[in-house]
Amino acid sequence: MNLALRDVRRHLARFVGTAAGLGLLLSVVVAMQGIYAGMVDDATILTRAMHADLWLVQRDTRGPFAEGSRLDPSVEARAAAVPGVRTARPYTYQLIQREHRGAVMRIALVGLGWPDDPGRSLPLVRGRRLQQPHGEMIVDASLGLGIGESLALAGEQYRVVGLTKNALTSGGESVAFVSVADAELIAFDQPAEAAVLERQRVVARLRRTDLGRGQPALEDLATDSRWRAPALASPPVAAVLVQADPHRIAEVREVMRSWGDVSVYSQDEEEALLLGGVVQRARMQIGLFTVILTLTAAVIIMMVMYNLTLEKTHDLAVLKLMGAPRTRLLGLILQQAWLLGALGYAVAFAMGELVFPMFPRRVLITETISLVAPVATMGIVTLASILGLTHVMRIDPSTALEG
Amino acid sequence: MEDAVRAVDLSKTYGTGPAAVKALDHVTLTIARGTVAALLGPSGSGKSTLIKALGFVSPADTGEVFFGGRLVVKDGVPLADLAALRRRHLGFVFQKANLTSFLTARENVEIACEFGGKSDGRKRARELLAYLDVAGRERSYPEMLSGGEQQRVAIARALANEPSLILADEPTAALDSVRSRSVMELFRKVAHDRGAAVLVVTHDHRALEVFDVLYEMEDGRIRPHQQERPAPAAAP
Repeated sequence: MNLALRDVRRHLARFVGTAAGLGLLLSVVVAMQGIYAGMVDDATILTRAMHADLWLVQRDTRGPFAEGSRLDPSVEARAAAVPGVRTARPYTYQLIQREHRGAVMRIALVGLGWPDDPGRSLPLVRGRRLQQPHGEMIVDASLGLGIGESLALAGEQYRVVGLTKNALTSGGESVAFVSVADAELIAFDQPAEAAVLERQRVVARLRRTDLGRGQPALEDLATDSRWRAPALASPPVAAVLVQADPHRIAEVREVMRSWGDVSVYSQDEEEALLLGGVVQRARMQIGLFTVILTLTAAVIIMMVMYNLTLEKTHDLAVLKLMGAPRTRLLGLILQQAWLLGALGYAVAFAMGELVFPMFPRRVLITETISLVAPVATMGIVTLASILGLTHVMRIDPSTALEG
Repeated sequence: MEDAVRAVDLSKTYGTGPAAVKALDHVTLTIARGTVAALLGPSGSGKSTLIKALGFVSPADTGEVFFGGRLVVKDGVPLADLAALRRRHLGFVFQKANLTSFLTARENVEIACEFGGKSDGRKRARELLAYLDVAGRERSYPEMLSGGEQQRVAIARALANEPSLILADEPTAALDSVRSRSVMELFRKVAHDRGAAVLVVTHDHRALEVFDVLYEMEDGRIRPHQQERPAPAAAP
């Protein structure tokens, strides 16, 4: 006769309630581990999706994800000319916040080097790559936009042509990919008011200079709304991504390191910069919180197990008096602990399936978490039952004879 | 008749120094199989201590206990596997029925059979419950049974392994006089039908005629009960 199951049958509602509570607690522990894993994965997914061997960024900066990086566009042509380089593509990166259908959207806007890079390396789940240099975008599905839907940016409509999955920044923002030209257009977009003020500043400057005073027509030109003063140089890019022949990467890197205006990072170094710099503190915080939460869960489970055992003290004393083998009584406690752990994990798993996708940050249940979580749960409930087992060992059967 | 249990010169003291209380004071007692014995005496006279010593739950400090003619405890030191002895040869009935709360009436008896190594526990449990007139309540949990029904199930549990000795500690304390008498007569029936020795601790003097032997304890000492008692009732 299985005493553990008989006890559960008798107190089914209470046992299921306890298991559900335990499940909720475990789901929080798993969620924290998933958020931790998600944060690490998010931090690197964007750089990996670019499939670059080398990242060229502004000299003495740590790349577009860590800080502002402004690189002269000529670096692209310079890099492409280095022997051993297969492709060199410009890359821009900026965070924007816009309203769409009444909701605020934070978007990490990445510029792709059209026509060399129409998004070939992106993990598309629906739609297609960019097919024209202007007015098309690939977005992450987490933005909630559908294929064919348009988003107004910088006074233009950008049509969604492709969807990616889990293309997120280390901060959890969804990524949208457009051509570099479009990204710059959006980056340097000015509201009408700002344009008027800019024209007024140009006129004021002209009036202070001999050039303006000598050529009054310039002032008329500056105030003409159809005219815009040409930029002195092309807008800078955030980085240039280089793909090289595999056996010549080191050689290419040495050449580029000698340039005075760039810093060169390999793919691994760029990821390490991201993990070590941008997400390190958040990662440590979540990691420590996960450890504390796991310990808290273990203590709570231990107390639950202990209380369940305490409630059975008299029954156990009677069974001991009847000569119940010690293994049967210890087995009762251990089997209930395992059952509680298994049910609790099932509840946590179900909660995860239902609720985790609704979290604002990605909760990544990695293969390791999937394998370790149930084993750890069973380990924790086994350890947690030690107090209860000790109590069983200490129960004096003679107490059954009293009162 | 064969002795079920024999205690020789048992002594036990609780506490030390001036606060020491002598619960058993050179107690010698024999209970033969097929005998129903009553142990009378006021509270604190040492009855429960003696029951614990004879039930191998809490041994006396000194003295010997023989079980089925074999020395099993000497001066508080067990000379046999006492838990196994309890499992196979002893039955307990308590003041409260003390049934296991999460087992049904039948399972309470069945688990005792299982502990005693009986393979046909379920069948035997049903037979015993029928023998004690509670067959109709075999699926009921203890809290659903009346006090009398609970005690009957407890007696069935005590009989599960055909014990040589049944120890009952005030089994009728919570029952009215009719049920109390009924339970006492059950003990007599069990002793006479099944050849078990039964030792019943009781304050209840209303059914003393049921017992074959009467003992009285006072201040840890035991002596035959002096009170004249009615002639034993015929076995049912």
